[in-house]
Amino acid sequence: MEIKTEVRNYIAENFLPNAPAASIDDAMPLITGGVIDSIGMITLVSFLESRFEVEFMPREIDVHCLDTVERIEQLIVKKLAGREPGVAEGKIQ
Amino acid sequence: MPEAESDLLHEWLRRTAALTPGAPAIVEDDRVTSFRELFEQAASLALRFVEHGIQKQDRIALVLPKTTDAIVSIFASLLAGAIYVPIHPQWPKERIEAVLEDCAARLAIEGDSYPPRIRDCRTGACIPWQAQSTAPASPTDFASVVSLSKADARDPALILFTSGSTGRPKGVVLSHRAVGAFVRWTAREFQISSHDRIACPSPLGFDLSTFDVFNMALCGATCVLVPGDIVWMPRFLVQFLRQARITCWYSVPSILAGMFQEGRFAEHEYPDLRVILFAGEVFPGPGVARLQAAVPQAVCANLYGPTETNVVTWCRVPFDFDGSQPLPIGHPCPYATVTVDAESGELLAGGESLMNGYWNRPEDTQRSFVRLNGKQYYRTGDRVSLAPDSSYLFVGRLDRQVKRRGFRIELGEIEAALARHEDILEAAVIAAEDGRRGTIIAAFVRVRAAGALTLVEAKAHCARTLPPYMAPDHILFVDTISKGSRGKIDYLALGRIAEGLNRGNQDRS
Repeated sequence: MEIKTEVRNYIAENFLPNAPAASIDDAMPLITGGVIDSIGMITLVSFLESRFEVEFMPREIDVHCLDTVERIEQLIVKKLAGREPGVAEGKIQ
Repeated sequence: MPEAESDLLHEWLRRTAALTPGAPAIVEDDRVTSFRELFEQAASLALRFVEHGIQKQDRIALVLPKTTDAIVSIFASLLAGAIYVPIHPQWPKERIEAVLEDCAARLAIEGDSYPPRIRDCRTGACIPWQAQSTAPASPTDFASVVSLSKADARDPALILFTSGSTGRPKGVVLSHRAVGAFVRWTAREFQISSHDRIACPSPLGFDLSTFDVFNMALCGATCVLVPGDIVWMPRFLVQFLRQARITCWYSVPSILAGMFQEGRFAEHEYPDLRVILFAGEVFPGPGVARLQAAVPQAVCANLYGPTETNVVTWCRVPFDFDGSQPLPIGHPCPYATVTVDAESGELLAGGESLMNGYWNRPEDTQRSFVRLNGKQYYRTGDRVSLAPDSSYLFVGRLDRQVKRRGFRIELGEIEAALARHEDILEAAVIAAEDGRRGTIIAAFVRVRAAGALTLVEAKAHCARTLPPYMAPDHILFVDTISKGSRGKIDYLALGRIAEGLNRGNQDRS
């Protein structure tokens, strides 16, 4: 499934019950728009980490990186691309 | 810990800066500020406040995250004889403005990058953060600052704004003496010294933040600031605790619980950690038992008290605590006097840590205080019972105040915020417990016309008007809100609907 679709489904299911996932467009502000609160942001990150097997750095858990479906996808794509076998990723220094 | 002579919080810093000028006062990531630097920066800023015309007891709002600059601003405000008003920068603009107006702040210090902006709230003019001359304030300058601040220990030192049931946050005015009583007791009871590295992830607007900031000033301990972006990220928090070699920790139980559940706290050892204090909400027994078992060498203690009284009772976790029973809120602190209203079971708390009153709300202040045998007590609104060992047990609330992740919330404030939306005719808000997620807030909303407001719009309205922790988890659009025979909202009936939601039923009634 496409990253955006998975993210949309997760958000609809957890934060906008009864709203169809398709109603969340790519540019809809999720955090600044009040759909996801700060704790919701942490649970979203946990979901993204386990679903896409990536690890977030504290700095990436940020309103600007995660505010829209589009930006979330960009971040995941970047993380997946940067992941090489044998390289421990996302460890903080 | 040597006994401090003064009752004034900024005098503690002056004294410690003279005794151990080179010792680290604040650590913020890679930035270390010594006591000398902290005092010089604060004194120099205080001088600029005074030059700008700041008078004794003027309010200076700190719309800042918990940073070195914010702590400099705290001591600068106090040195100048002003009252500091910490405001969380993540509050919605509307709420920040309301608080600035309510406390009639003379100055607002704001911005999340260096240097902060200092704005005159009346004229809009800005004061530079850094002194024009590069020379540090001279000792004579210090003296002139200090002579300006011959404050009385009963004078207000800070105002903490907390959720108000009528829809507006209310300001709890705390004096030097009130904060001092609590901090001195913790210093003595937990033997805090210059060897300690204290961490407290609570924002400055929380009474918990008086512990680290002022124990630093009193005892020469180091205040190690928790990076704001990891406060709710358990695995990074656990890493921080170990790498920063924290010796004393003070937080709400939710943060500790998160460190156990997702941060794998129990898998590591913390040889430096010797004191863990928690306050602000109920820490369920099993969580407390896991904590004490994971750090057997550390003293763990539950501190209890509303913002209006800071901490008034406490309970040290027994080393063999098994968590099968709730942990009591314990016995009174030596500076506190507590008693129970025999009829309602309400805990009444008085003593040195008591607030002066609510800012600009004489009627609320009067209602919240009661005089017994010539002593002033605050009505906590908390129902308690007495355990066999005469310690107090928390039973519940007498009103509609709830705690969520340690944040204090008046459900009435959420209702008032919702009702300010033009398409909302009526709103009722309830809280329910969800074993996994803790306190869940559900709002029942009756709108002007079907489809007048979407769920996304309603959530956006909450984000604009309420701090993030107050935003409802569920917003349900309903045709009617259940009322009892006298036309009062039937919160019990609404609670049953919400319980259904938490069991995974439909999210719409």
